Amino acid sequence: MTTQEKAFEEIYRTNYPKVYRLCQGYTNGDDAMSKDLAQEIFIKCWQKRQSFRNDAKVSTWIYRIAVNTCLLELRKKKTVPITDHLKHLEESEDSFSVSKELQLQQLYQCIGKLNTDNKTIILLELEGLPQKEIAEIMGLSHEAIRVRVHRIKNELTQCVEK
Amino acid sequence: MKTFEDLKSQWEEQPQPEIPHEGSKIIMQKINAIQNKQRITNGVLLTTTFVLIGFFFYINAYSNLIVSLGLFLMIGSLIVRIMIEYASIKDLKRMDFTKDAAAFRTDLINYYKKRVTTHYVATPIILALYAVGFIILLPSFKENLSKGFYTYIVVSAIVILIVMVFFIGKEIQKELNSLRQLKSSQTD
Repeated sequence: MTTQEKAFEEIYRTNYPKVYRLCQGYTNGDDAMSKDLAQEIFIKCWQKRQSFRNDAKVSTWIYRIAVNTCLLELRKKKTVPITDHLKHLEESEDSFSVSKELQLQQLYQCIGKLNTDNKTIILLELEGLPQKEIAEIMGLSHEAIRVRVHRIKNELTQCVEK
Repeated sequence: MKTFEDLKSQWEEQPQPEIPHEGSKIIMQKINAIQNKQRITNGVLLTTTFVLIGFFFYINAYSNLIVSLGLFLMIGSLIVRIMIEYASIKDLKRMDFTKDAAAFRTDLINYYKKRVTTHYVATPIILALYAVGFIILLPSFKENLSKGFYTYIVVSAIVILIVMVFFIGKEIQKELNSLRQLKSSQTD
């Protein structure tokens, strides 16, 4: 294994969970689609590795690739309706985990109703990224992100309440 | 009443995904497969071009001006169409995914605009040239082929043309939708 491959493996292991969760936000929580997307994102990370500048944060660089890949790839695919994911829950007997899962699916459903930009912003916010970093990923000003996050938070909580 | 903080903790508490065993190795294998596929595609395109040119000389098409022109138009328009498609795929692959989302979206919009122009301008011209080439060749087909085979060629050409126009129409619709979606999410 070359040094570059070792560094890539490290990046892969550290960032896979975040990338996968972001993909789930775009695919209504679809596991298979999220895995495919995550794989596509890491392929692009390897192909674009020369463009990474050491003064930038690795996570910002990866999130940019992830957001742009999802934007492009999801145009070609149809996301699975949320009801398809709920079918397996009806058979489960553990009421606590079922209720948790249902709440999570409801959250996915509400995220799915947002437009692409707002979806990306709120997914990054849910992942706990600082708003300055979200602004760098989105190519918007810090102030614009602050205002939009506030608006989307309200929209999302109202949707979940319904 | 639920607050955003409740939603955030719900998000954070979701089960952690399992990191695929040897996931980075699988990615490396996939990258090699993509490169091999690219090489094979290049090979196939190059071989097809040579076969077509070879065929042109094999049947001495150059000795008959009308046949030459017909074949040239048909083969030439096919090659140009393939080259445009190939260049378009390359454009998409060359796109810089490390740009911020707003800049990337602008690039994507430009890409789709170029595609739509190709569909509206280049494709009809290419289709028309292909059809003209075919029509030019018809007398020579009639002269050299049996009546049944000649009818078969004419009928199948018309069917192929209708099917091609239908698929191209669907493709234009799809790409126009993508363009519309991209523009709408930019202005929201």
